[in-house]
Amino acid sequence: MKKTIFLFLSTLIFLSCTDNGPSGPDVDDFDREAILVNWADNIIIPSFQNFAAETEALKLASEIFSADPTLQNLTDLRSQWLDSYKAWQHVSMFEMGTVMNFRDYLNTYPTNANESSFNSDESKTIQNNIETGDYNLILPSSRNTQGFPALDYLLYGLADNDAELLSFYTTNDHADAYRAYVTDLTTRIDTLTDTVLDNWINGYRDEFVSNTGSGANSSFNMMVNDFIFYYEKHLRAGKIGIPAGATNISSGNPSPIHVEAYYSRNFSKILFMESLDSVQNFFNGSNFKSQQSGESLDDYLDYLKTMKEGTDLSTVINNQFEISREKAAVLNDNFVAQVDNDPFLMLATYDELQRNVVYLKVDMLQALNITPDYFDSDGD
Amino acid sequence: MKASKLLLPLLLATLFISCDLTDNNNDITIVTPATYEFTRNGESTVSFTGQTARIKMATELFSAMSDFDNSTEELLLQMYRNQTADGGDADPFSDPALNAETKSVKSKVAASTDYFSANTTVSAQIKAQFEEWISGQINEVFPNENQLAEPGVAGQIADGSSTRYVNGKGFEFNQLVAKSLNGALIADQILNNYLSTSVLDAGTNREDNDNGVLDGDSNYTTMEHKWDEAYGYLYGTSQNPANPTPTVGDDDIFVNKYLGSVNADEDFAGIAQDIFDAFALGRAAIIEGDYELRDLQAQILREKISTVLGVRAVYYLQSGKNALDQQNPDYGAAFHDLSEGYGFIFSLQFTRIPNTDEPYLTKAEVDSILAQLTEGNGLWDVSPETLNQLSTTIADKFDFTVEEAAN
Repeated sequence: MKKTIFLFLSTLIFLSCTDNGPSGPDVDDFDREAILVNWADNIIIPSFQNFAAETEALKLASEIFSADPTLQNLTDLRSQWLDSYKAWQHVSMFEMGTVMNFRDYLNTYPTNANESSFNSDESKTIQNNIETGDYNLILPSSRNTQGFPALDYLLYGLADNDAELLSFYTTNDHADAYRAYVTDLTTRIDTLTDTVLDNWINGYRDEFVSNTGSGANSSFNMMVNDFIFYYEKHLRAGKIGIPAGATNISSGNPSPIHVEAYYSRNFSKILFMESLDSVQNFFNGSNFKSQQSGESLDDYLDYLKTMKEGTDLSTVINNQFEISREKAAVLNDNFVAQVDNDPFLMLATYDELQRNVVYLKVDMLQALNITPDYFDSDGD
Repeated sequence: MKASKLLLPLLLATLFISCDLTDNNNDITIVTPATYEFTRNGESTVSFTGQTARIKMATELFSAMSDFDNSTEELLLQMYRNQTADGGDADPFSDPALNAETKSVKSKVAASTDYFSANTTVSAQIKAQFEEWISGQINEVFPNENQLAEPGVAGQIADGSSTRYVNGKGFEFNQLVAKSLNGALIADQILNNYLSTSVLDAGTNREDNDNGVLDGDSNYTTMEHKWDEAYGYLYGTSQNPANPTPTVGDDDIFVNKYLGSVNADEDFAGIAQDIFDAFALGRAAIIEGDYELRDLQAQILREKISTVLGVRAVYYLQSGKNALDQQNPDYGAAFHDLSEGYGFIFSLQFTRIPNTDEPYLTKAEVDSILAQLTEGNGLWDVSPETLNQLSTTIADKFDFTVEEAAN
């Protein structure tokens, strides 16, 4: 398999060399540092600063709610949870820096809610953590009982109506533990985020922009690989493909429990659209605050005059983002309902997202002379 | 059933043609059967139930090693020995058929005639090594279930979205046990026991086989059965044991699985068919009493099955190296790969160079490589350079390169 891809890539490289001729633009002549600086200073760090402000506010809202679990405070906390979750979509792809597997701690779903939920054979469920008080959120094994999906369950999924849900925080035998768990989760999110942001600001930013080479361990190669990995695995598969039944994870069957923000129901499309925006913005180097375009992958491809069937590859990719967005626009805001009622419409979105996997992972990587650094593991 | 019906006329046709060509020479050409089905008087002569049972026992042991809630040292050791500590009958398995067995994994670890019949001290040491790993899981790793792993401290570590449980040196004991059994149980029994002339031709086996003298009440000659027992260690849990190649890789967690992986690598494509063909042709040769042809197939199997273990050893060393050799080393992924790699390297002392009595890597060579992985804080300390160098050391002993094995 890998061999095939390699041969395929080699063939493409060979073809493109002859197409461009010896005087064509060289991949190593482009100023990669300009891209790295734009990514770090105008996208990554501002996105993290924005996210860190949201997680700080989330922590505060949860403390207010835990101190006084009223319907109003619940409403405020839910609203801040959604704002934070949206902001998360703009940093989720940036896994570089000190904290490995940051994403898995903040957004592993389906969450392991209680004994009747998905993965219920595991003893460590959210309900079990709360009732026994025996949990340690820094452990990798606790990743499916924390983060935004766990809050989704605790703020929306405990009961069918708000009055009953609030009773978990007021009259339930474990009400104190429920309140404490919510603040433990938001504190964990906030602390992890601060660690990552702090690392970027104090040292890693300079290391990142100065590592300008073209080897497998250069910042540019690693970031591009991380970007495509995020697009393929977390956006295309995680948010759309797996719930719609496009992958083997649910044996090809639609699987509503795999929808992001499953318990709150109405936000899955909003979160997906934020994620799609963030991916396209990254590709075009759009400044997080001003939305002004800066140096990024699109400029690099244009510099190399990379064409795809007579059109600039950067245009092909941007058009494909637009087509995907239009396909997704007709989906129900609630992906659970969408999966239940018409998974085929979601598969249609998946197919459009898949086209850009090819443009990004084959055409773009070939033009940039980057080797993919991830493969599907052998599963053991 | 269908295949054999189709096959019969084909075989007859071939025999007919070859008889024709060889001009009454009585020198018949033995063709490679397409399926592993052999009969006498209309009844199958193929049997390898003991091998199927041991693969299943080892599989239960592997999975029980990760069952933090229910497993004890006593239970795991009973699964390994299928006996209580004082030698009594034990029922440690979830499958009642396995509890009814008197066979065990341990009795066939490092137990081949060629390598260990006159080397019982080493055999006992290797058998005990597995018990140390099993006990280590219970005594070092289980108590630290809810600790983060650190150099010198057992605990859990993230590997992608999986969580791995490692000892203080970064090794997963369950992987050491499972992957080392590929050599110590499966390969050793196949290559150095059941495919050996010392076993196939023991006692009056040849004479009996020539004269169709059956093994007690069974429908097979002893020699036929020995060959089938070799086959069973590779295909004993196959979905269709008579035609196992279509599902190779999916049928167990031992050599069958990794034969599937290696066969899927373009550099080694076809090795699964080659191995099946050698087993089938060797068995057909026994029926015809052609022991030269039989032994030729045994040499092919020694080379190819040894190669599977060698390729996976290098593959995992390289995967581990790639996980470590980056800006932020992915220790979790590396430790998992290198724990598997450790087991495959351990397995190499049980390989067999064709037409010799030697493994591709001696025990001393294997021990020296493993020592480089375990010294100091073990996998926390090991460098990508060391992993590259060990990969080369292993590949140089075989007929493949590090690059061919790594992808």
